[in-house]
Amino acid sequence: MLWVDQYRPKTLKDLHYHEGLSQRLKSLAASGDFPHMLFYGPSGAGKKTRIACTLRELFGPGVEKLKIDQRVFLTPSRKKLDVNIVQSNYHIELTPSEVGNYDRVVIQEILKEIAQTQQVDLNAKQRFKVVIINEADSLSRDAQAALRRTMEKYMSNMRIILCANSTSRLIAPIKSRCLLIRVAAPNHKEMKTVLEYVAQSARAGKIPDEAAEDIVRDSNGNMRKAILVFEALKMQTPDLSGPLSIAKPDWETYCHKVGDMILQEQTPQRVMDVRAKLYELLSHCIPPTIIIKTVAERVVQGVDESLKADIMHWAAIYENRMRIGSKKIYHLEAWVVKVMSLYKHFFYDMDMSGFEDGF
Amino acid sequence: MLSSTPGILLPDVLLEVPTRGGAEDGYDAFVPNGLLNSTPRDLSPSLQASPSTEVSHSRQSSHSGSKTGDLYLGLELVPNGLLGEPSSKQDVPPSSPSPEPFRPNGLLSQSQDEELPDIADLLRPYARTTAHASGSSAGISTAPIVLPRSSLRAHTYAGQPVFLRRRARQKIGVVQPVRESQRMGNLLDVPIHRLLDHLSVNTARKLAKEDDDDPATASSATEDSLWVDRYRPKRFTELLGDERVHREVLGWVKEWDHCVFGKSKTKGKKRARDGEETNLLQEDALHRPQEKILLLSGPPGLGKTTLAHVIARQAGYAVFEINASDARTGQVVDDRIRPALESGFAVGSSKPVLIVIDEIDGATGDNASGFIHKLIQLTWEKTSKGRGKKRDDKGKRPLRRPIICICNDLYASSLAKLRPIARIVRFTRPTDVHIVKRLREICELEAVHADTRALSTLVGVTRGDLRGCLNTLQFIKARNQEVTEHVIRTATAGMKEADSNYLSVLNDFFSPMSKKRVKERGLGELDEQKYIDRLSRAADATGALDRIALGCFEHYANTHQHDATFARYVKANEWLVAYDVLSGSLRAEREYAILPYLSYSLVAFYPLFQERGGHRVERPKADWENHVKTQANQEVYKSLARAVRTGHGRTSGNYRHLIGDQIMRLELAPYINRIISPPIRPVNSQVIRPEEKAILSRLVNIMVSLELRFVQEKGEDGQLMYRLDPPIDVFVTYDGKRAADIVVSRYAVRHLVAFEIDAQLIARQADAVERTQTRKASSFFGASRREARGDDNGDGALEPADEPRRKRAKAGPAVDIADQPAVDFFGRPIVPTTTGGPSKLHSAPAQSEKPYRVSFRFSEGSSAAVRKHAKVSSFL
Repeated sequence: MLWVDQYRPKTLKDLHYHEGLSQRLKSLAASGDFPHMLFYGPSGAGKKTRIACTLRELFGPGVEKLKIDQRVFLTPSRKKLDVNIVQSNYHIELTPSEVGNYDRVVIQEILKEIAQTQQVDLNAKQRFKVVIINEADSLSRDAQAALRRTMEKYMSNMRIILCANSTSRLIAPIKSRCLLIRVAAPNHKEMKTVLEYVAQSARAGKIPDEAAEDIVRDSNGNMRKAILVFEALKMQTPDLSGPLSIAKPDWETYCHKVGDMILQEQTPQRVMDVRAKLYELLSHCIPPTIIIKTVAERVVQGVDESLKADIMHWAAIYENRMRIGSKKIYHLEAWVVKVMSLYKHFFYDMDMSGFEDGF
Repeated sequence: MLSSTPGILLPDVLLEVPTRGGAEDGYDAFVPNGLLNSTPRDLSPSLQASPSTEVSHSRQSSHSGSKTGDLYLGLELVPNGLLGEPSSKQDVPPSSPSPEPFRPNGLLSQSQDEELPDIADLLRPYARTTAHASGSSAGISTAPIVLPRSSLRAHTYAGQPVFLRRRARQKIGVVQPVRESQRMGNLLDVPIHRLLDHLSVNTARKLAKEDDDDPATASSATEDSLWVDRYRPKRFTELLGDERVHREVLGWVKEWDHCVFGKSKTKGKKRARDGEETNLLQEDALHRPQEKILLLSGPPGLGKTTLAHVIARQAGYAVFEINASDARTGQVVDDRIRPALESGFAVGSSKPVLIVIDEIDGATGDNASGFIHKLIQLTWEKTSKGRGKKRDDKGKRPLRRPIICICNDLYASSLAKLRPIARIVRFTRPTDVHIVKRLREICELEAVHADTRALSTLVGVTRGDLRGCLNTLQFIKARNQEVTEHVIRTATAGMKEADSNYLSVLNDFFSPMSKKRVKERGLGELDEQKYIDRLSRAADATGALDRIALGCFEHYANTHQHDATFARYVKANEWLVAYDVLSGSLRAEREYAILPYLSYSLVAFYPLFQERGGHRVERPKADWENHVKTQANQEVYKSLARAVRTGHGRTSGNYRHLIGDQIMRLELAPYINRIISPPIRPVNSQVIRPEEKAILSRLVNIMVSLELRFVQEKGEDGQLMYRLDPPIDVFVTYDGKRAADIVVSRYAVRHLVAFEIDAQLIARQADAVERTQTRKASSFFGASRREARGDDNGDGALEPADEPRRKRAKAGPAVDIADQPAVDFFGRPIVPTTTGGPSKLHSAPAQSEKPYRVSFRFSEGSSAAVRKHAKVSSFL
């Protein structure tokens, strides 16, 4: 078992940080008037952990008896969709974004099915079932619209817990029907505490201070990542001594390489080289948004102050266009060329006027 | 006027004489020719006749200018008078004097100047071509000249003489063009009066023939019919294209002769053709060919339909045609084809019928398959019926007439069933040379001036489509144009567009128009500069805008434009992005109204990057390669996700939060690779150090719970190696290199790990089995539990070696279900002797009555700690 899973808190009182939040969840669960909820916050902050803990608080250890189902749905166009569903007696967990544009079908079918069946277990602590919808921010508009009425109509039989990275892509009616709970990323100190706890529980020996610092800094508030890194470190250097190098994900290293290449040279040949690298990243299924973000961050580190804003500005613009378009590589390269051009202009101290209206 | 044309000798110039003369008598002089020309059916004689008469006439006229003017006038008057009274057709034979003056004149001229042989030479090609094109073979009159004997003598390889009898040919009542020209050559050999006789007889015949035909239809046909119809081959020998194909088709049709016409006709021939085939044919009671349907396939305009018709006629059939204009449903087979086949003869004809189903691949729609199905049924259901006919006469009659199906696309899905049972003949385009030759002949017949280059261009543009060529030519002629390359290009503009290829368009984007093409299109300096319309239209015509965009994207950085500040590149990329955004919203929102504007965003590459003599644009391929790679990697991700998920199910771990797309790609994939590659020395698991052992067992644990394996494989060099499965190590491999901080575990290590994983898996499996078995223990024999124990032997690897043995020793006796009455599978109580059968250690049944028991609990080690009831007696 991976540490990230093994030492995951099971109950609200085991949670290491955000004490106040835990307290509130606890009282909510006890009140018997449990609302729909929307957990949001950055990746690796502990949203799912908190959801699981809350469920346990609501229903007791029975929620941990899980079974996995693969359900088949039929789209209106007779296409078959496979959806993986994790459920216990008291709750059901699904990720509708797995099926892309057809998420509406899944939402409608499953929610109705659950909403229309009563809780059969007489010993259950609550009269309702809970539906957890992961990656709620990638739900299509149709699916969200399908959700909003269901949420009110079947309130007596079920509660919905949405889990999202940000609320910006959720429609307002949904947000207004939920209790919004923000799970912020842990700060460095909290993360270090958790790492130490993991190290202690795993009998992995004391984690050197610098190493812990490095891990915390690199993982940027992502607890899951921190623990994964720690485990990788422990596996690669079992005694945790000597000079420790904290592993970075390979795609990140590669993106940084691309960023450096952009700044080193601005020639047609280099454009082609960068393109090849971008293709390589894309073929490893790294989301293009992440690519442009990581590369831009790297590029910004290496340029003059006056250019930073521009580079980020264009990165944002091209990222936005990329979402509308279909060929990601065009937009990535367009940004790369733009940055090269900006950099050249800056380098030759050329007139920048008229550049903004250049297109 | 007469004196103005003294020295003219060339026929084409001579043709102009009357018009140039302008005078009435000059015009009249041409009228007899017109008369001869108007023969509707056979163009060749008229054409043949007209030059000759003209030549003689011109010769005469050139003469008469100097000498015999009066004679000339007299000559002109006679035919005029004749023409003036068309009603008196009987006068035609008496009109024989009309050509009379021609000949003497010709002879006179011959005697004076030396040019006459030249003219004969000039005329020879006409004669030859007409003879070929019209195909009216030499008549009786030629026979004595060319082949004086009535039989030919030949020798076989064995040296035996063979006599080939000359078949008497059909008489054709038309003047023979060949003879005309030949006679021109040795004009002096034949006495003048005989020549004159011939000529008069011919004219008479021709006129008589005209009489027979309906004059109205005859004349209108010449003017209105399409050239395609006019020059459609009427005989087998006139067919253009691959002889072998024609022969094959004819051969197939001939194979039916036995069935259709009875034995006498072709039996010997068939045998001679192919012995083996004959044997096969013998099996068929009706001596039909093995395949009852012939399927002709090939691109349009090569003459498939013509071939079918010509061959049907050649073989003596009447054609019954079903084509795209008819509904093609199963119904049609029943209503039309079947009756035609069963009667065996076309309506109002004594010839047997041959069914031609044209454009069979166009039979789409709901009923198309029904049509084909019925057709097939027709052939082989009937074959069986045909045999069975002797048994019951009520069955439908077997297929007795050939069926020819014609299609363009042999691999159309609707033909899938037909293909295996039909004899397939593929049409290929004839060589360009042949087509050009045929076209030139036709052009000459139609008096269209066409140079060979123009014609070969035409053939190239239409890709050998004869029908297309002829239609184009006729169109050009209708506009009174000369056939030049330029005219052809304009006339076939549409055709050319259709076959334009996206690569050539892409090249146009990056290079200016060549001088040649500018000239061809007749563009001025200013027009040449205009590119937007030209390029956008070309791009739209290809219908592959996405590929053009890709091509632009992949190529633009290869151009040599100087671009210090990347302004060009930025612009180009802006256009590409605009294109992508447009096409993205076109697809996402189904806004197809945007479609016409798409190409304009790509045209911008022309002003930015066009250069003379740049690199040729390659077929864009990087994107495709990337796509393939992405697909492969996505598969790996999927299998990893699946493994994690099912692993979760088995270990009741909670990995599900790890399989979100982003999380898995960005966090799990890179780190899991590091986690599963700890530094382990390749040593035997027995002598391993305790701390390493801990790592090893942890590694095995993780890999098992994530369902990762090492799979043994043979490498390319034949060496054994262990591969990670699913191959998640691709995610730390960029540019073909693995991340530096991950040690590549050696074969021995992997071997060790793989071994441990297998052991662990077996242990778990046994564990699971055990658990379920204990649960059901009450209803099972003790023996089944022992079997489960037997499985446990495998898990020794992880446990101290002596442990399983001890366990077995202790657990063995416990198999006895002491305190419960023995029941069989169905829960019925059973006799102890059968119960105890499998157990050797089974004690006497009396023991079960003892009131006390000792419970022994064993809970140590990682494997199944089973609680079982055991009796003290078994330990004693």
